Amino acid sequence: MTTTIDRKTATEAAEAIRIQDAGKQYENGTLALSNIHLSVHEGEFVSLVGPSGCGKSTLLRIMAGLDQATSGKVQIQSEQASFVFQEANLMPWRTVVANVALPLEISGVSAAERKQRALAALEKVGLTAHADSYPRQLSGGMKMRVSIARALVSEPKLLFMDEPFGALDEMTRHRLHEELLNIWMNSNLTIVFVTHSVFEAVYLSGRVVAMEAHPGTIKQIIPIEESYPRTNAFMTSPQFGEKVREITNTLT
Amino acid sequence: MIQANGQVSKAVVTARAQEGTSSPVRKKKNRSLLYKTITPIAFIIILIGLWQLGVRVFETPKYLLPAPSDIWKATLKGFPDLMQAAGNTFIAALFGFLLSVVLGTAVALLMMASKWIRWGIQPYAVVLQTIPVVAIAPLVVIWLGPGMNSIVFISLIVAIFPIISNTNLGLSSTDRNLMQLMQMYKSSTWTMTWKLRFPYALPYMLGGMKISSGMAVIGAIIGEFVAGIGGGKGGLGMAITSAAVQMQTSFLFACTIAASLLGMAFYLTVAAISHYSLRHWHESAIRSDNE
Ligand SMILES: Nc1ncnc2c1ncn2[C@@H]1O[C@H](COP(=O)(O)OP(=O)(O)OP(=O)(O)O)[C@@H](O)[C@H]1O
Ligand SMILES: [Mg+2]
Repeated sequence: MTTTIDRKTATEAAEAIRIQDAGKQYENGTLALSNIHLSVHEGEFVSLVGPSGCGKSTLLRIMAGLDQATSGKVQIQSEQASFVFQEANLMPWRTVVANVALPLEISGVSAAERKQRALAALEKVGLTAHADSYPRQLSGGMKMRVSIARALVSEPKLLFMDEPFGALDEMTRHRLHEELLNIWMNSNLTIVFVTHSVFEAVYLSGRVVAMEAHPGTIKQIIPIEESYPRTNAFMTSPQFGEKVREITNTLT
Repeated sequence: MIQANGQVSKAVVTARAQEGTSSPVRKKKNRSLLYKTITPIAFIIILIGLWQLGVRVFETPKYLLPAPSDIWKATLKGFPDLMQAAGNTFIAALFGFLLSVVLGTAVALLMMASKWIRWGIQPYAVVLQTIPVVAIAPLVVIWLGPGMNSIVFISLIVAIFPIISNTNLGLSSTDRNLMQLMQMYKSSTWTMTWKLRFPYALPYMLGGMKISSGMAVIGAIIGEFVAGIGGGKGGLGMAITSAAVQMQTSFLFACTIAASLLGMAFYLTVAAISHYSLRHWHESAIRSDNE
């Protein structure tokens, strides 16, 4: 157990992402980010929380290379990254398994291997039975799981998630938390996770980055020392409440 | 024996009762569907009846307004000619339509690929739509000569605009997140176009094709008006012109009806293809399945 904690929070672990004094000004003049310093280590689970418009998505997109910082330095160690958006963003004309196989198709993996790996990824999110369904036949939570399977199928080193569970009900969200933590613990995945929910951030992450708006800056980085695997007992523990309170106070 | 009988009838009654709870709705739906089909048919029959009656009562001359029965007779008499003319028009419209799909899609793809081409072409694509084709048709005949080439070309310019504008709209409304996702996996432009933008645009394209299928037939007939050649090679446009000149009004009506049926057949074929190719995923196809 202790080794798990070590792996996930050790500052000596190699850096997956290093951001030094980065800023982002959009073309219309909006200063979305300023003075951002942040390092994410390999195998870490980091969450970004903060009020709407504080630049969480912008920062995430910069880390993922979907957007460029307008000042400062951003270094990303791994090329193999995946992104999960707030909406599932599936292709409605493809079956579930074909949606999941998309990243492999782009990188030219053979059809047989594609299918096998896509099915394996679907199994991780518990959707093997729906492999041949079309997205419209799935519920919102199921679509989200397909989207996560699609992100995992390429076996990325880095996984960026932008409020992936925002639109889901409490029960489904909690089940997906468990699934996500399971997948993360059984791999060497580095996850950067954006959320509105302080509870979600504390429950999942090794570190929580609290941001504030106007302009978007990092206010404080709070480590969550609780070991993995985390149980429901953690959620009702005094430490949990303490962390939630600390972060909430930071944000307001 | 009697008891058994009684039980049986009871069972039948309960079965009926159960059926009764669900079927009235379905029955009502079926009936309204029946009315929906019967009403327009009844309407047209009544209209034709009144027409026939009116013409007979007022004794209008045939060349002004023939009775439906005259049109029917003219159809039967000129049937081989009519079929040949319709066949020619069909071929011209088919080529015009297919060319407009290929060229229109190509133009839209070029507009997607380069903003210079887009900026350069867009205003003219709109102008193309507002040019009265009847006015430039003679010019086309001067360039391409009378006959099939000109007719197909005129059908093409009439039918191409909806293809260009719809495909263009479809290609430019691709989901941004999916595009970025594909970029993240280092997708080539070709893969992105083929696997994302094109399928995304498909419902728009098919919508454009539905519109232009009918217009291709109209275009072909306009083409035949100005570029048709005689000797049974002129298609319906030519047949209409010559029937009008010779005051064969009954046959003129027959030609017009044939032209409408041809346009309708074109439209329905394209609509069926559209429905078939979108059946798994697009709202338009799924919804009409449930109706
Ligand atoms: N493409 C853009 N062009 C101009 N301004 C933008 C753009 N995208 C975001 N912004 C601005 O940058 C700021 C940060 O936006 P961002 O989407 O990163 O916030 P966020 O923290 O993710 O908010 P939310 O929690 O609501 O998703 C906001 O003020 C927003 O208006
Ligand atoms: Mg956001």
